[in-house]
Amino acid sequence: MSTELLSGFTDHARSSAEAFRVMLDAMAQPGRILPLTPDFAAPAPLFASTAAICLTLCDYDTPLWLDDSLRETAVIDYLRFHTGARIENDRPQASFLLCTPATAAEALAQASIGNAEYPDASATLIIQVPDFSGDRLTLKGPGIKDERVFTTAGLGARFWALMDENHQLFPLGRDVYFAAPKEIAALPRSTQIKREGQA
Amino acid sequence: MTTGYNFAYLNEQTKRMIRRALLKAVAIPGYQVPFASREMPMPYGWGTGGVQVTASILTPQDTLKVIDQGADDTTNAVSIRKFFVRTAGVATTEETEKASIIQTRHRVPEAALREDQILVYQVPIPEPLRFLEPRETETRKMHALEEYGIMHVKLYEDIARHGHIATAYAYPAKVNGRYVFDPSPIPKFDNPKLDDCAALQLFGAGREKRIYAVPPYTKVRSLDFEDHPFSVQKWEEPCALCGSTTTYLDEIILDDKGKRMFVCSDTDHCRKSQEKAA
Ligand SMILES: [Zn+2]
Repeated sequence: MSTELLSGFTDHARSSAEAFRVMLDAMAQPGRILPLTPDFAAPAPLFASTAAICLTLCDYDTPLWLDDSLRETAVIDYLRFHTGARIENDRPQASFLLCTPATAAEALAQASIGNAEYPDASATLIIQVPDFSGDRLTLKGPGIKDERVFTTAGLGARFWALMDENHQLFPLGRDVYFAAPKEIAALPRSTQIKREGQA
Repeated sequence: MTTGYNFAYLNEQTKRMIRRALLKAVAIPGYQVPFASREMPMPYGWGTGGVQVTASILTPQDTLKVIDQGADDTTNAVSIRKFFVRTAGVATTEETEKASIIQTRHRVPEAALREDQILVYQVPIPEPLRFLEPRETETRKMHALEEYGIMHVKLYEDIARHGHIATAYAYPAKVNGRYVFDPSPIPKFDNPKLDDCAALQLFGAGREKRIYAVPPYTKVRSLDFEDHPFSVQKWEEPCALCGSTTTYLDEIILDDKGKRMFVCSDTDHCRKSQEKAA
């Protein structure tokens, strides 16, 4: 390994339990923005929040794909060391896809949707976003009392059109985490998403 | 807290696998996610599926309540509570309102649950179609194609034989308009509490190796027919201890001459109602 590795959770069992609870709450309440501030620093450009998701969920059973902007040696060494996950080059083969707004649409388009008998054999996207301001979306579905407004920036029209298609595939489809430096939110396949100005 | 165990007993590799299954279960309400169930230091039938779910979601800050048939003081509930005190050092309570996680066998608490609470069900047989179709490959196909005809035929045979739907426990329901699921052997009296519930509901079947979920505010519709709508159990008398007419009652035989009384099955709720009345 070329450089000294940054550490992961200081007390893995307790800290990963706390991180998972935030991730579970986020998935159960789509579009709710929740703080996720692990007690370690991740190698840039990986956010500590993204790293916390990976260290809590990924292992040798879950091939991991990273977009070009995250495919830094320090990031790859770090994720390999702390999760044991194989770094996958082929998007459809990955269990988790780490991307940024510029690469999210293509990753979403190619990620696995599972199959009719095993819709859980599908991929999860983790999209690093700078923050949760910007485009307004109205969400409906399981986990949401009536409606919830969710805002996030930088994801284009193609991404949201694909998210709509993804929802239409239910119960198949991918689930998405959005990770800002200190917060996360999730949009599972079950969520119906309406963009501002859409009928 | 005993040292030498990993936090909440399960090793990190097992928790990661269960946590991934839990997230899929939440994303696909009512769908049974397979998982590699582990041996637990208690026999099957003691809620090993529920225990593995609780162990995978528990944090040091949680307050845990465990009920068996509505009561906190049965052997099963006490031993599960002790297990988590020993392995995770968590606080416990018998009060529904004070719990952040409630693990249950066969009942849903009477008090309305909140968004900051999680209900974990112990499930013996997760597949609602199992008694009608023993082959897993076939039931998988039926769920995939939404072929739930045989379920309705079974309920209709009930009506033909008894004049009403006789199924009183583990009454099948449809989640989010898609998957028919087994709410575990709760009385059908509890089914309406699952619908649009503010709390996240997680179901774990240890022997059958399945995890499923109902997210907050999700539609849960008990199966029925237009001419035989779903209805719940009713009692002709109120709870003998607290006077409640809106709770699920257990019959208690008082002597061998057939003297009996009806009392709330949810002991915490009954105690609270008595305190309020006093
Ligand atoms: Zn009572």
